[in-house]
Amino acid sequence: MTNFSIPGSQSSPSIQSDWDKGILSMQGDSYPENSYELFRQVFEWIERFLAEAGRPLTLELRLLYLNTSSIKAMMDIFDLLEAAHGEGKQVAVNWHYDRRNERVVELAEEFKEDCSFPFAILSHD
Amino acid sequence: MRGQSALEEMIEKLLADPQHKDHALRDALNLLWESHNDLLVRIERITRVSDGYQSIARERELSLSARFDKQLRQLEKVARISDRYQQMMRDLNIALKEASTHDALTGIGNRRLLMERLRDEADRAKRYERPLSVVMLDIDRFKAINDDFGHEIGDRVLIEIARVMEAEVREQDLCGRWGGEEFLILMPETDVTTAAQVMERVRASIGTLAVRVNNDLLSVTVSVGVAALHADENYSSTINRADVALLSAKRSGRNRVEVDA
Repeated sequence: MTNFSIPGSQSSPSIQSDWDKGILSMQGDSYPENSYELFRQVFEWIERFLAEAGRPLTLELRLLYLNTSSIKAMMDIFDLLEAAHGEGKQVAVNWHYDRRNERVVELAEEFKEDCSFPFAILSHD
Repeated sequence: MRGQSALEEMIEKLLADPQHKDHALRDALNLLWESHNDLLVRIERITRVSDGYQSIARERELSLSARFDKQLRQLEKVARISDRYQQMMRDLNIALKEASTHDALTGIGNRRLLMERLRDEADRAKRYERPLSVVMLDIDRFKAINDDFGHEIGDRVLIEIARVMEAEVREQDLCGRWGGEEFLILMPETDVTTAAQVMERVRASIGTLAVRVNNDLLSVTVSVGVAALHADENYSSTINRADVALLSAKRSGRNRVEVDA
């Protein structure tokens, strides 16, 4: 499986996948016009990784603002991880937030609510 | 499979009985019996297929309803999170608005806020034929303070002056930093005479200020120009006339209030 790397812009997050390390990272604001298109690649990559890699998968997130369709996409991704977790696969999310923006914590907590796999909310400077 | 009825048993017995072998109705009864059995098989098959379809439909309904419930829960959650993001953006907007209209050093209004309020107040003053005074205030020999004591002291002087000004003007007046060491005070519902009185008080109060620099006390003075909005002029002309009055205060020896008639 080839890795992909999407450069970020003012309205869309930068996204990188690393098949060997089992890491998918996203950073930035997310209110793209084509959010379904943007997140479909992410979704498909995760689906394939979970089906084929046979290794643990970790999502490293440094997301600030998410528009409604991005929120939906993230919830779909977490559902996917939850299902994989249910099948005994090792998945984890690390949601990093800037110490100066504590409100992101509350939002990450909302996402975390329905997830039973490891979901860490970590601060950084 | 259902059991045989009494009638069916009787027919079967009659057909099997050799004594009716040559009975005129036997062949007809035999055909009817076979057709009856065919129909039974068919009905059973139709029932089986129909039951199958029904159970598929039922399963689909159950899974659709489960999916619907799940989607509904997800939708509610999306809306809840989305609302919170929007609230966060709104609060951020308010903070940005505050930052964009206030001077970072002194905390009082900046030039943008002054321009906005000037436009509004000038419109109002003209519409209701009310007085409006505009004041320009400049710190005397500020460059020397910066040169002699450094920018940090210069900044402290600016902060102190802004504080005194805010304390001395009336509630309806708006003080802001126009730029550098220059401040603008907007005085709605105020003619030049009253404005000059208030500014005389501000000038005197600033004169008593003492900013401590190591073991020394640094005193500052300000020069002030006052002008009233004329009914037939743009507010920028009023600012210009306040500037001219300020210049004349500087030329007449500083530390004074001059009024543009």
